[in-house]
Amino acid sequence: MNTQHDPAVITAVLMAAEGAINRGLELDPGSARDLADLSGTVLAIECWAPALEVFAIVEPQGRLHLTPYCEEPCSVRVRGGLEDFVALATAEDPAVTLINSHLEIIGNSAPLIALQTLVAKMEPDWEAPLVEVLGDVAGHQLANLLRQIFRWGQSGSKSLRRQLSEFILEEGRLSPPAAELEFFYQEIDSLVLKADRLESRLKRLAQRLDKQAQ
Amino acid sequence: MTDKINAESGETTDFGFETVNKSQKESLVRGVFDSVASRYDLMNDLMSAGIHRLWKRFTIELSAVRPGHTVLDIAGGTGDLAAKFSRLVGDDGKVLLADINDSMLKVGRDRLLDSGAVGNLHMVQCDAQMLPFPDASIDCITIAFGLRNVTDKDMALRSMERILKPGGRLLVLEFSKPVSPMLGKIYDTYSFRILPMMGQLIANDADSYRYLAESIRKHPDQDTLLGMMEDAGLVNCEYHNMTGGIVAVHRGIKA
Repeated sequence: MNTQHDPAVITAVLMAAEGAINRGLELDPGSARDLADLSGTVLAIECWAPALEVFAIVEPQGRLHLTPYCEEPCSVRVRGGLEDFVALATAEDPAVTLINSHLEIIGNSAPLIALQTLVAKMEPDWEAPLVEVLGDVAGHQLANLLRQIFRWGQSGSKSLRRQLSEFILEEGRLSPPAAELEFFYQEIDSLVLKADRLESRLKRLAQRLDKQAQ
Repeated sequence: MTDKINAESGETTDFGFETVNKSQKESLVRGVFDSVASRYDLMNDLMSAGIHRLWKRFTIELSAVRPGHTVLDIAGGTGDLAAKFSRLVGDDGKVLLADINDSMLKVGRDRLLDSGAVGNLHMVQCDAQMLPFPDASIDCITIAFGLRNVTDKDMALRSMERILKPGGRLLVLEFSKPVSPMLGKIYDTYSFRILPMMGQLIANDADSYRYLAESIRKHPDQDTLLGMMEDAGLVNCEYHNMTGGIVAVHRGIKA
């Protein structure tokens, strides 16, 4: 087992994640059926910062089992840093993200892409458990309210990101715009080249002076 | 016969912090577990704040049990591990839930029946030191929080090694020694002050829970137990500390 962390802590985190994913799958039978088609797939995720190895095993009932230890042969092993895994998990086009990221893939990447696409497309019916507990009317109303809050949260988060970027670049002048930064880098490159040329000329001049002195 | 010899020769062993005759320990331990059996699960959840489920789940992961395997869960008590193994081995496999204590076994049997774990599950009342199974007949043996209550631990480990198939594995989940001295002090305070109090409040039995705390301190630490498993003939022995070493799971393979 490749981890420096307490197995009990890792197990707790994986249990919570597994519970949430499987509950989501229960509320989205279509995704559960698609997942069942990948039954037997063992995905090994090896993160080097923080050092952690996790296995995701697809079970025949269309459920996912997450474990820190697995002796089954892996269908695919993915190695990389945490930020690369986050980028992959949230990517709209996982294939492009896989190619452009620093992730190292050993084995067949097809089940990995299929799994990521499946998770990204998951649309759990959160209304069902609410209706079960609260009844048709109250459950539906609460589900609508939660959906509105979720949409508001999504658009609010996008708007906040845009406004924060504008503030940092335009209002606060805390960071230069990308074009200005690019121009600055070009200027530095040009200066480095000029300094190199000047150094060469000085060396040649010194050699000429030495020869004249002899 | 063995009891008689032990009694006559005066061989002693520990029972918590007390030293007792070897022949007495079995009945004393039985008394403790008869007393706590009915509230054993509730107390486990309260004493460990539910963390015992994580320890057990990790132990099951390490077992790598597959469909068709035969699994023996010694000191299986109320059947926590056996229920999970029953699902893992499937219809072609077999799970043997063993315990020396009939009160614990009855609670376990009822609980497993209620949860629908039937068909591939069998209950056996037996002594871990003299396991009544043929040589090389078991794929995996687990003993969770039970080895410290066994009178002769070396004898029990040898008995387990005997019945394991070559390549089979033994997993010992047991309280151990915290790796940090600070955690050790906090743990001592908890074990000797709070634990008996909880035992008194919930199970109306402070003495049994005081024994549990004492027996944990008398149990061999991680490296000693590792050596004992190697002495019993197991190979590739290793252990994983959990929750700062309060608990460790040891694993050994039958050569």
